[in-house]
This record gives sequence, structure tokens and C-alpha cells, in this order.
Amino acid sequence: MNDLDTRLRRCFSTAFPNLSPEAIPSAEQTEVEGWDSVAAITLIALIEEEFAAPIDLEALPELTSYRAIREYLERA
Amino acid sequence: MTLAEALRIIHSARTNASGEPFDVALACGFTPLHLQTFFHASLQSRLDRPVRIHAGLFGDLIGNVENLPKGLHGAAVVVEWPDLDARLGFRDLGGWKPSQMADVLGGFRQRMDQLEAALGSAAARFPVAVLFPALRLPPAFTPVNARSSPVALELEACVAMAAACLAKIAGVAVVNRQALDQVSQPAGRRDLKSDLFSGFPFSNAHAETAGFLLADALFPRSPKKGLITDLDDTLWAGIVGEAGPQAVSWNLEDHTQLHGLYQQLLDSLSLQGVLLGISSKNDPAVVEQTLRERNDLLVSPERIYPREVNWGPKSQSVNRILKTWNIGADAVVFVDDSPLDVAEVQEAFPAMKCLLFPKKDPNAALALFYELRDLFGKDRIEADDAIRLESIRRAGEFQEQAEVSGDRQEEFLKNLDATIAITVQPPLSETRVLELLNKTNQFNLNGIRYDPAAWQSMHSAPGALTVAVAYRDKFGPLGTIAVLYGRRTGECLDVAAWVMSCRAFSRRIEHAVLRFLIDGLKIERFRFRFQNTPKNGPARTFFSQISSLEIDGELELDAATFGANCPRLFQKIEVKTPEAAAQ
Repeated sequence: MNDLDTRLRRCFSTAFPNLSPEAIPSAEQTEVEGWDSVAAITLIALIEEEFAAPIDLEALPELTSYRAIREYLERA
Repeated sequence: MTLAEALRIIHSARTNASGEPFDVALACGFTPLHLQTFFHASLQSRLDRPVRIHAGLFGDLIGNVENLPKGLHGAAVVVEWPDLDARLGFRDLGGWKPSQMADVLGGFRQRMDQLEAALGSAAARFPVAVLFPALRLPPAFTPVNARSSPVALELEACVAMAAACLAKIAGVAVVNRQALDQVSQPAGRRDLKSDLFSGFPFSNAHAETAGFLLADALFPRSPKKGLITDLDDTLWAGIVGEAGPQAVSWNLEDHTQLHGLYQQLLDSLSLQGVLLGISSKNDPAVVEQTLRERNDLLVSPERIYPREVNWGPKSQSVNRILKTWNIGADAVVFVDDSPLDVAEVQEAFPAMKCLLFPKKDPNAALALFYELRDLFGKDRIEADDAIRLESIRRAGEFQEQAEVSGDRQEEFLKNLDATIAITVQPPLSETRVLELLNKTNQFNLNGIRYDPAAWQSMHSAPGALTVAVAYRDKFGPLGTIAVLYGRRTGECLDVAAWVMSCRAFSRRIEHAVLRFLIDGLKIERFRFRFQNTPKNGPARTFFSQISSLEIDGELELDAATFGANCPRLFQKIEVKTPEAAAQ
């Protein structure tokens, strides 16, 4: 697991404390309990805080899974 | 605190905090998002009980305030410009035409009046903290940036007037704008991206500061009670033992004004009831001469007691001062210009706030002065505050004479010329009552503390009986020194809280209070909700004496048993409004 994964997992476990560590890499908005619009904003804010980088507004609608967010951060 | 840290505090409390939830509302016109998180975490970090935050509907601040639910422990209200006129925000495209902006004022004032009324009504039920608009007004006004718009100035004046009126209402705390400005830089407060995307207009940094200040304004920490100060290069500039009493200074001419400002601050603190003591490594005779001869001192030497002036370690002096004041180290601040002495006292008293006096750095000294104001912060000065120091002196004299009297104690008590003034059902505005309930440790029935909302609800409960007790004798007045609270059913009183200041020990005041309840209010049976705490040994001893039992839990006592164990009482009793309570 690289540094990006470690930090992103930390964001997910803070935003969704009931999500088990094993379930994080496959987490999707439609399947994670509590991943509603408010939690989505909180998750994005945590990621911006962790990576000290703003996330583009246009990208937000697509950031609906761990995998999508990871790919976005890799590109950024 | 980062957002992640705040969330961890909240999640951890969900697992670990126990007890009845602490319900607090956060009313604002926007989606509270991270402000709610930071506010929640700030409250949670100072409570063992789980905190529950209740937020209202998006876009309706006044409605949210008007509909605050019953049974809350408090409410935080955040007002922003769009709550008073939507055109002053960024989510409404209502137009910024010059003619419209001039028109904003009328509706703005009306909304502000509505909000004021709603806040006043909420504050009658529970404590309310209000943060008034802190974001920059939109670029809707015509003058260049450097010039104020008359309309914008009127909007700001309208807010300031409302804040000033509300701050005078008991139960309302207005968040200090200057404290906010100190931490949250105005230019960094708004996050337009977040406002447009999610309806949350604050940057994370501003949300953190606003959340912390709202929590602090709503439930302030207990103020410190005493300040122990050094003399040389702290209370005054110079070494008095070397330079002499006339050579130490605190003025502009000698560039020692900092020390004058410090004296001025101490004087102000002492007048609000803060105890002042001196711990100085010096020749006692020289110090006494200085305090006697330098009548230009800005803090009266009469208001500084005790004075520990010797060549021994400061920690020993501080220990003696704490014993005289009879308060814990955690309630005291120590100020000294010597890093060594500060470290030595801090080592001996880890709970004490020990601060270095930065004698060569005026800006650092100013920060210290603000910190001291904050540590001793108090909304109102009560009559009891003014006599606290005198009362401690009197208590010291009383104890000395009481010890000397030995087996002539009955004669000593008889000659005290003591009067106990009992107020039955003191009003809620009598803040000394709640202060005593929450600060007293030694004569305390069970150590339970009460927040203002809980006390308000207890005070108005069916059968509630509160008595506040003030005392004076030939040594002088002690002020209000005891409070008893219980619920009455017929001739039975279920006592949930009973506290008495340690200054009032050894005078049989506690016996006189029970005697009054039995004779004056016709109580025949008591149930005391006693619980052992690490500090309430004096209360346990009292209950063992009057019941002839070893006490380790709740206790029932009847008038006959009390009568058989009660020693002779010599006090004169004055009663205020007993009729209402005897019903």
C-alpha cells in the first residue's frame, strides 16, 4: 500500500467510522451506509485537508467511490 | 483542530461517552456542515456526556430560532447577512442595483427586530450564544473599496445595536467580534466555492474558530479564583531590595509603563472578586515599607492578602497562600518574571496556570494581559465578589480565635453575635447560588454540578425548595455561603444538593439551616442524596454526627434524631419570603 492509499484510507475511516478497513478499497457511495450528500461533502473536505489541495467542482459528481477518488488524486 | 480531529472526537464520544445526552441546538440559515462538526467537537471535548446537536431547516434562521425545541441545554445561533436580506448573499440573484441596496435597510431592520424577539424568547428557556454577521458584505455597494458605503455602515450599525441590546439580556451571550478577529482573519472567512456548491459559506478555518467561540460563549469554563504575583520586575520595575522603595517604577517616563498596566489590571481583577497574593524573594521589611510608602501604587496593598515575602522556595510560599485561601491549585494563576521560579512552581503544582511576565516585551505582555482577563472572565460582579477577600481575612481571624478558645468553644460561639440570613426561593437571577453549587467541594452533598439549563429546570420543578444562606458575625460578613436544594412532598424534603463554603465551617451554620427547615418550614423528614467524593469529607463528618451513623450513601433523617444530636445554636435567624415555600 503506497502513501496515497494510506492517507486516503484514513480519510475514509474518519468519514465512515463504521466501514471496516477491508471494505474501504471497494467502497462505493451507493453501498456505504451513511454516504449521503452531507457525508460526501465531509469526505471531500477531509481529502482536501489531508492532501492540502482543492478538488475541482466539476469533478465532484464523479467522485462516488474509493477507486474514483484514488484515480482523481493520482491524476491531480 | 482539523476537521479530521474534530470528527474523531465526535466518533470517539459515540463509543465512550455515557450518561444522559447533552442536547444543544445550532440554528443558522445555511447548511451548518463543518461548523456543526467543529462546534460539536468543541462542546464534546469538555463534557463526559454525549453531546447531541440539533440543526434546523436550511434557509430559515428566524424560523429555526422560533422553533427551537424544548428541553435543550443551550443553543448557538449564527446570523449571516443573507438571513436578514437574501440579496446580501451569493446564492440569490436578487440584484445589486444601487436603488435596491438603498431599499435593503427597511426590511433588514424589520428582520433584525424579529430575530431579536425570537432570541429573547429562547434565552428565557435556556442559554443562547449568538454570532452576528462575520463575513464581508457582497460587492453590492457603489463606493471604491477604501470608502465605506453609508448603507453598509447603517447595516453594520443595526447589527451592532441589536448585539448590544441582546448582550444585556440574562441568558444571552454575544460572541466577541474582537476575539473572533484575533484568530480568524476576515479575508479568509468566506469559502465561495463551498457556499455555491453546498450552501456552507465558511472556510474550514473560520468554521473552527466560530465553533470554538460559540461553545466557549455558551458554556464558559469556570473562572480562576486567585492570582499570585511576584514583585520585582513584575508588579514593579526594579529590584526593591537594591534600589530602595522610591526607585522602583511603573510609568512612561522611566519606560516601565508595562508594570503600571499590570497593576491596573490586578486592581480591576481584585474589584471583581479575584484573590491577589504576593510571593516574593525579598526582605519583608523593605517590601512592607514600599507597600506602605508608595501610595502611587495602582493596586491597593490592602487588597493583596496574604503576602509571602521571604528567601525560601516560591513553591513553599505558594503552598501557604493556597492554604490561606483554601482553594485548589487548579483555580490559581501564578505570574513571575523569573523562568526558574515559574518552572519551580509549575513542577510543584502541575494544575496551576504558571505564566512568565515578559518584562522586556510589551506586545507579549499585552497578550498576557488579555490571557489573564480571559482566565478570570466574569459576566457580572455580584455583591459577594466584593467582600470575598475581606471574608477570607475574617475567616482566618475566626479560626485563630476558635482554636485558642479550646474548651471554651460554646462561650466563643455564643459571643460571636452571629446572624444567618436565609433567602427562601432565591430568584434564578441570583447567580451566586449556581456558582456555589458548582464550585464548592468540601461541604458538598454529592459533588454533582449543574449547567444553567438544568438548574433552571430544577428551580421550577414541582415542590422545589431552594434556600440560600448568608452569614455575618462580629468578625464581619461572609456573604452568601451556603445553598440547599430539595423537592418537598408534604413534611418530607428530598435534598438533592447542599453546599457550604469552607470559609463558613465551625460556626454550626449547617445545623442552623436544618433547624430552620424543621421549625420554620415544618419539615419532619429528610432524605439526603449523599455520595462520597474524594473531597467531601466535611459533609460526611457532619452527617455522621447528626445521625450517629457511619455514612457512605443516601441518608434518611427525622426531626427527632436531628434534635437529639444537634448542639446548641446561638445564631439569630433572618428569613426572606418564607411564606411562599411553606405552602
